[in-house]
Amino acid sequence: MDTTGATARPRFQVTIEDSGNRFACAEGLPVLKAMTALGGGGIPSGCHGGGCGVCKVRVLEGAYRTAAMSRDHVSPEEEAGGVALACRLYPASDIRLRVLGRMRKAVAARRYGFV
Amino acid sequence: MGVMRIGHVDLRVLDIDEALNHYVNILGMIETDRDAAGNVYLKGWDEWDQYSLILNPSDRAGMNSIAYKVEKDSDLDDFEKRIADWGIAVENVPAGTLHNCGRAIRFDLPSGHEMYLFAEKKFVGKSVGAINPDPWPEDIKGAGVHWLDHALLMCELNPEKGINKVEETTRFLREVLDFYLAEQVTAGPNGEIQAATWLFRTTTPHDIALVGGPRPGLHHLAFFLDEWNDVLKAADTMGRKGVKIDVTPQRHGITRGCTIYFFDPSGNRNETFAGLGYLAQPDMPPITWTEDQLWRGIFYHVGEEAGSFTSVYT
Ligand code: FES
Ligand SMILES: [Fe+2]
Repeated sequence: MDTTGATARPRFQVTIEDSGNRFACAEGLPVLKAMTALGGGGIPSGCHGGGCGVCKVRVLEGAYRTAAMSRDHVSPEEEAGGVALACRLYPASDIRLRVLGRMRKAVAARRYGFV
Repeated sequence: MGVMRIGHVDLRVLDIDEALNHYVNILGMIETDRDAAGNVYLKGWDEWDQYSLILNPSDRAGMNSIAYKVEKDSDLDDFEKRIADWGIAVENVPAGTLHNCGRAIRFDLPSGHEMYLFAEKKFVGKSVGAINPDPWPEDIKGAGVHWLDHALLMCELNPEKGINKVEETTRFLREVLDFYLAEQVTAGPNGEIQAATWLFRTTTPHDIALVGGPRPGLHHLAFFLDEWNDVLKAADTMGRKGVKIDVTPQRHGITRGCTIYFFDPSGNRNETFAGLGYLAQPDMPPITWTEDQLWRGIFYHVGEEAGSFTSVYT
């Protein structure tokens, strides 16, 4: 089955400003899903449900809509200013965005087990 | 007497219809009630109390509270005193505060998670009944989870600031609520930091687990399946339905469970957990995993962090 829904729908170009990475996102598909389905990177990928906040981005240019996003991670003011969670972000035109979220992965060795 | 088992989790969800589709059609839980506030109550087919999961429509994800069921009403009085004596504020709440439950006591664990103890909840029975039952019901949906098995709570751990809520909460659960320690992870230069624990009241290795992290939260809720093949089939269903899987089917070293980690549509992590692990008993010596082997404890085969285990939770 086509879980990406990528067939025969308008496709928009998503550009990640930080890296210059570009990928196509079919209408009706969240940006994060489109990116991970193509094996791409650049936006941290977590719960894909708008709950964890790691995929936070700022849309710099372009039209889009969003599904429900946790208020723990996107305030109404941020939302009004173009901040969104990429897993709940559906482009309606080509868009350009900047990554705000951070994956708290071990950059340096962990000192106490999990932290 | 004392705490019997996990009773229910009150979970925040961003979209109630998406959440219901997930917990009913993909996990196979059964909707048993709704209230005026819009909360929906669900149980597994093998559970007899009215609900083990409350879906609470909210503008954020995560857990509101967790409840454990005690055997006798008088246990509530005993625990109320012991909790207060330990130095934690405890409140006696009347019947009906917890939907269709008798009176309860409410308090915050040292980790900050809100907990209830209750002795009575409305009985509805297993789907297969109690007279000459079939081994499983015919109309199972999706993974067909049996019951809510346990929850893993993230607790603040910051040894440099002298904060170890894993150790503090573990001590509270053992000394006050009579939980037993099945397994632990030790970390730090001399292994002096208790970084994670798995505790039980039933005869399985854990009814609650605590892992140290930067902030408190819900790591996952786990639902019980019989065995490995059920785990594989559950993952097939998730693949078919496009559920976001965090870690594909594999084995935990700790507790020996067969597992899948995945997310509900609001980003709350779930687990389907198969197998009873081993017989856990009060006199069983606790198992220790050292820091150098801790990822083999979590994911036995690869022995490395998989998915977003430590970096993502609600
Ligand atoms: S991946 Fe968790 S909020 Fe987007
Ligand atoms: Fe678990």
